[in-house]
Amino acid sequence: MSKKQVALECVCALLILLFLYASVSKFLAFKTFIDQMNNQPLPNSWTPFLVWAIPLLEVAISISLLFEYTRLIGLYASLFIMVLFSAYTGIVLLHFFPYIPCSCGGVIQKLTWLQHLILNLFYVALSILGIILTTRKFINPIQITTKHSLV
Amino acid sequence: MKKIKWAILTFAILFSIGSAFATRPHNFGTLYYWTGTTYMPVGTLGVNYVCESSTQVCTYTYSNGVYTPFNTSSTYTPIGATTPATKPASKSEK
Repeated sequence: MSKKQVALECVCALLILLFLYASVSKFLAFKTFIDQMNNQPLPNSWTPFLVWAIPLLEVAISISLLFEYTRLIGLYASLFIMVLFSAYTGIVLLHFFPYIPCSCGGVIQKLTWLQHLILNLFYVALSILGIILTTRKFINPIQITTKHSLV
Repeated sequence: MKKIKWAILTFAILFSIGSAFATRPHNFGTLYYWTGTTYMPVGTLGVNYVCESSTQVCTYTYSNGVYTPFNTSSTYTPIGATTPATKPASKSEK
């Protein structure tokens, strides 16, 4: 197992750790999560959809990261969702909303919004790193040599 | 190679689920007191009493935005039935 492969497995493990922890925490305190979602500066009519969609999406990303066949999709999905969370955190920090809502999800809710943003950006970087490592792994070195020899 | 991969991923799965259970919020529900013959409800956590980490007074009653120390763990009195014997030191709302 090469160093790059170990690094890729570690990246995926860290992403799984975050998404699985966040989703299980939400399901374990589901009523609290609904209350926290209602407290967000989003229309409350979205709550019944979001309280299921967010944790289920997190579980789906975790599962997709486990298998090499679906890993790239999982990494792109995690990049998308982490960019979305980072943007939301940034909007909160820039006081676009009339009030600052709670940051939800197990022990993560103990973080301040700035710490939350730093954590999100770290995971954005991890997702990008994972995508780079995965796509490089799929490029066949023989094909590269052939291409270069033709030119 | 596969063994190392699955060892890392299994650790991540177990650690994340374990951590979620370990850090889940505890719902203590209703606090009861012993009357000598039966248990009676004192109040509901977060509604009309809170329990703070302390070696002496743990329970505080909550009324009109003020937390008041309410007896010790062994001598709970139902909220609203009896006032504490000594005048409690008020604690402003968090």
